[in-house]
Amino acid sequence: MKSLRRDLSSNPQASNVASKVFVRSTKSGKVQKIVRELYLRQDIPCSSKLCSLCPSIAPSDANGNIAPFVLSDRPAGTKAFPRGHYLVPDTNALLNGMDLFEHTGAFYDVIILQTVLEELRNQSLPLYNRLLSLIKTDEKRFYLFFNEFRLETHVRRGPEESINDRNDRAVRAVASWYEEHLGASAKKGKKEKSVPAIVVITDDKGSIKKAKAEKVTALSLSDYVSGLEDSEKLLDMISEAREARDSKGPIGQLFYPEYLSMSKMMTGLRAGNLHQGTFNVSPYNYLEASVKVPAFNRPLLILGRDNSNRAISGDMVVIEVLPQDQWKSPSTKIVDEEAVTRNDNPDSEETEAVVSQNERKALQEEVKKAHGKNAEGKPQPTARVVGMIKRGWRQYVGHVDAGSTGSQAASGRRQQTVFVLPMDKKVPKIRVRTRQAGDLIGQRILVTIDTWDRDSRYPTGHFIRSLGELETKGAETEALLLEYDVQYKPFPKSVLDCLPSEGHDWKVPVSKEDKGWNGRRDLRDLLICSIDPPGCQDIDDALHARKLPNGNFEVGVHIADVSHFVKPNNAMDLEASVRGTTVYLVDKRIDMLPHLLGTDLCSLKPYVERYAFSVLWEVTPNAEIVKSDFTKSVIRSREAFSYERAQLRIDDPSQTDELTESMRNLLKFSKILRQKRYDAGALNLASPEVRIEADSDEVGDPLTDVKTKAMLDTNSLVEEFMLLANITVASKVFDSFSQTALLRRHATPPPQNFEDLINQLSKKRGMELDVSSSGALASSLDRCVDPENPFFNTLVRILATRCMTSAEYFCAGAHAEPEFRHYGLASPIYTHFTSPIRRYADLLVHRQLASAIGYEGEDGHAVIEGVNTRGKLEDICRNINFRHRNAQFAGRASIEYYVGQALKARGEKMAAGGTDSGIDEEGYVMRVFENGVVVFVPRFGIEGVVRLEDFVLPGEAGSRSVSERRELAVHRTTHFDPEEYTLRVEEKGHSEKERGVDVELFQRVKVNVSSVKEEGRGAGKRRVRILITG
Amino acid sequence: MPLDTSTTYPLTRLRLDGRRWNELRLLQAQISTNPASSGSSYLSMGNTAIMCSVHGPAEGRRGEASGAAGSAGAIVEVDVNVAGFASVDRRRKAGGSDKQSSRIATTLRAAFQSHLHTYLYPHSTISIHVSVLSADGSLLAAAINACTLALVDAGIPMPGLLTGCTSGMSGSASTPRDPRNDELDPLLDLSLPEEQELPFLTVGTTTCVPVGENHMDDEEEETKVAVLNMDSKLHCTYIETMLAVGMDGCNQIRELLEGVIKGSNRG
Repeated sequence: MKSLRRDLSSNPQASNVASKVFVRSTKSGKVQKIVRELYLRQDIPCSSKLCSLCPSIAPSDANGNIAPFVLSDRPAGTKAFPRGHYLVPDTNALLNGMDLFEHTGAFYDVIILQTVLEELRNQSLPLYNRLLSLIKTDEKRFYLFFNEFRLETHVRRGPEESINDRNDRAVRAVASWYEEHLGASAKKGKKEKSVPAIVVITDDKGSIKKAKAEKVTALSLSDYVSGLEDSEKLLDMISEAREARDSKGPIGQLFYPEYLSMSKMMTGLRAGNLHQGTFNVSPYNYLEASVKVPAFNRPLLILGRDNSNRAISGDMVVIEVLPQDQWKSPSTKIVDEEAVTRNDNPDSEETEAVVSQNERKALQEEVKKAHGKNAEGKPQPTARVVGMIKRGWRQYVGHVDAGSTGSQAASGRRQQTVFVLPMDKKVPKIRVRTRQAGDLIGQRILVTIDTWDRDSRYPTGHFIRSLGELETKGAETEALLLEYDVQYKPFPKSVLDCLPSEGHDWKVPVSKEDKGWNGRRDLRDLLICSIDPPGCQDIDDALHARKLPNGNFEVGVHIADVSHFVKPNNAMDLEASVRGTTVYLVDKRIDMLPHLLGTDLCSLKPYVERYAFSVLWEVTPNAEIVKSDFTKSVIRSREAFSYERAQLRIDDPSQTDELTESMRNLLKFSKILRQKRYDAGALNLASPEVRIEADSDEVGDPLTDVKTKAMLDTNSLVEEFMLLANITVASKVFDSFSQTALLRRHATPPPQNFEDLINQLSKKRGMELDVSSSGALASSLDRCVDPENPFFNTLVRILATRCMTSAEYFCAGAHAEPEFRHYGLASPIYTHFTSPIRRYADLLVHRQLASAIGYEGEDGHAVIEGVNTRGKLEDICRNINFRHRNAQFAGRASIEYYVGQALKARGEKMAAGGTDSGIDEEGYVMRVFENGVVVFVPRFGIEGVVRLEDFVLPGEAGSRSVSERRELAVHRTTHFDPEEYTLRVEEKGHSEKERGVDVELFQRVKVNVSSVKEEGRGAGKRRVRILITG
Repeated sequence: MPLDTSTTYPLTRLRLDGRRWNELRLLQAQISTNPASSGSSYLSMGNTAIMCSVHGPAEGRRGEASGAAGSAGAIVEVDVNVAGFASVDRRRKAGGSDKQSSRIATTLRAAFQSHLHTYLYPHSTISIHVSVLSADGSLLAAAINACTLALVDAGIPMPGLLTGCTSGMSGSASTPRDPRNDELDPLLDLSLPEEQELPFLTVGTTTCVPVGENHMDDEEEETKVAVLNMDSKLHCTYIETMLAVGMDGCNQIRELLEGVIKGSNRG
């Protein structure tokens, strides 16, 4: 028998094969030993433009291209390294200072090691992804050096050596190799003078010491940054997470209980003792949160800081239900973090207990209430957070709490700890250490949370950048976009490269032989027109109707053929799928697709030929659909109307041309369709929306631009046909793709969601709400009319809308067919097809429909790639659901901001004239708390909290300054009746009937709206104040 | 979690084990490792190690070999056994063959049945036993190579060496290839982590020993594809590139195997 031992001596290449052995444990807890080969080589270039050796050995890819060298031949220098330097960060440096590495002012020419990249990936996937995108951009000159494969820099782990020590050693080995290599290769090029220094950046003290012994330059991140210009700004960007732990030494007093280990949580979850859900903080009370879990039909309440145990709104938490004697009813009080904890000192920790006295008081009253016999409803189960599955932390926009800065804030450059108050009220204040506290006051800033330790009352974070001064348009708009995670950066070049090269001169090919005409029907002779809001540039849809010889009508909906221009999986498609939707702000539109497509080539502009995707129906004069047909087409829109103009034209009896007649027909059909839809049980919901018509920079009163959305017949004309097109397309797509059709559903809301509203309506008005089906709900909503209060019905509809779940995109395989139902529209199946310019879902549906009708595209290939894998589709659904929701929030927040600014502008004008009296309006009470009410003001579409001090009692002077009013609160007392939803506010000791104010739910109240500047605590912050005047 | 090829390859042009796109793993082989059999071989490609032994041609058993089917020539029987310790997790399965090994066996049988000059041995059986000692990707390709060596060792005539190799793409390659902006590279000889991540195919080629009077003029050897197997999904526009690279790999391997065969004579 011959020996089968692997004989390495005979093969010359074999000496360069090393192996990497490591142990990993799988999810199921199994331990695996992995062996990987490593082929060590000498042709991995250093990628420095200085080097004269490496270009000759640099390898090429399969097409013979050599990767360009990255590192500059004239790297930037600092005081310490006048000849320039290359940076070699280790993993810790990247973990603590990723924001720094992304900063455009410094950190160029960085060598990222394979060792470091791999370690980073194990520690933090988001940071790893950020680093990868840094490496991919050319500007920052980051070079990924695969040191483990280079013969000279490969480091074998010694016996007894920890993996961290080995990795640190690998970093140092690379640094010394680079130094030697550049020294040798640059000499040949006679550039000796300019050999840059190699600087290892590490936060490991041991490694710095060893580096000194090995004659490698190594600096800690903060030491390095201190040597840069602008160091103060940069130093703030180092993550606090590690540093704090190092410096603090023994952990101080522990405020919070420890989280359970992952395995304990899993066991608990499986056994059903523990529950998992998303932590959701109440908008009215920062100490109250709810978590919806499948095991209970109502959300579980989490009260107080103790129980929420460091969870922040949006985290995925594991909770444990508390014993029944601790169950409570939800809060009836408005509690504002700023008000309760405004005196907390960001520096000291020793004296505070986790629940401060003030908070305890706030909570105590809750408990009393809960045990009182007239508590609202039954006590609800409460729970406490025992573990954390996944943090939902993101970057937060906020401003520095001026009260928390030290006295010498403005002058000193000393590092100090300040509180940052996030814009999102549900997020607790964040402790941030900064050297520029003085400069940051009055600025909108972006911060991130690094950690929340058990011994800290508040989470700790670090400053990222300043967006600009508070209340400036630029800063506030950017803040809004960041807060709602809207991708607002300009489109990168790779995306713009995907546009047709003709630019604005692109035209539908004249010759029908052209491949663009493949599979397209010529519909240019149809009288098609579009109806949109005034000033609309991205026209998605156009319509036509014409009489057929057999007495029926042909009705067509024509949608911009975006999928013709956006091919699957190119850079533009990927960008659009990330953006998900176009976001409309009051004065800005953040497009999903580049401007050229959205407002020109795709947009169904009048008088020009455009590609379209058409849905054609044959309908009887009674709007019964005989058949439907789908086709790609070429159309020429005859006119682009605004809703008003279309309405005028239809109403004008002197207009009898064909186009007007066709619009009249459309209107007639739409009314029948609408009636049919309502008969089937569709809901007519309301949302408190106002529209802002910003007529450029007109000097007039900006408040006149704020208009409630008017519903014209033409609005519902377009809406009806879009709904019809969406429904028709949905069933067609579902026929062809039973697993992967992209659909939209609106789940039937569970009846307990409506419990409160039903209770309130029956108590206050004796009305009944039947929620057994959408049809029943629709008709019972119709009956909720108060003859004296015409807005009451809308108010009820707004409240009912809030009880429902939100509609969502999903792919057909994810739910059983009965679950496809769209509750609000009372349609068994629904999708989005009609706005591909501004929604990615529609674009996907276009592709699916194209493939369903056998459209073969320009080059004869069916374009179904990218739409037929379910896994990918589900990812896309998740993203577009998220983007869709955020876009709505951002739009609303933008309007709110605009209204605030308009009020402010008006207030200033009035102040110049002597008095700042605000505007008197009508408001409606939406919710009653023990110490205030929530009022909705339809004129501006805003709702606001009215606190004790904001009630104007009879015989009291109207408006006073904010601080004066605040003092009033102390003297006031309330009588709150949760059963009857009434609140009486009066002066202490003056219980006479005429000295107090009574408010109750649904009541119409006179309010005074103004924009006021907060004084004292959140200085510089502005809010819309609502005073109840009677 | 280690890095993955599809993210880091475009940045460094290096695969996860430090190879370039067109490099084979270290291939080592010996023949006549088991004197008790007619022919035997041991072959390792990277960490994939395979032992192969050939018995026969021997008189066919009473079954099919002696029947009508056997009258045309020898029947090739292949038996593949993946050792329980071959992969990361130890498999404890009592007997029987799994899907993977029976698929390899079927492919090998089909390939060699038509490749060997079986007509020389009517009513007989050539049985090949393949034992996978360690599996780290390109199993089928390595098995083809090991069988070829063992069959040569057994002295069974064949027109040329049948060699196998895998090739893949450095990304998911699910969309049509864009010739202007070609981001993906073909990869040669995939290891297990690469096979799990990327689309790949196995190709086996053979050359005919040139016969006839003017064979000396014909410098270019004619390569024939004898085995082609792909289980992954990728866009058809990439197949051609992958096939070309795979066949090139087969030629490299053929030279290595020829070296092994010639070298063993000297020893």
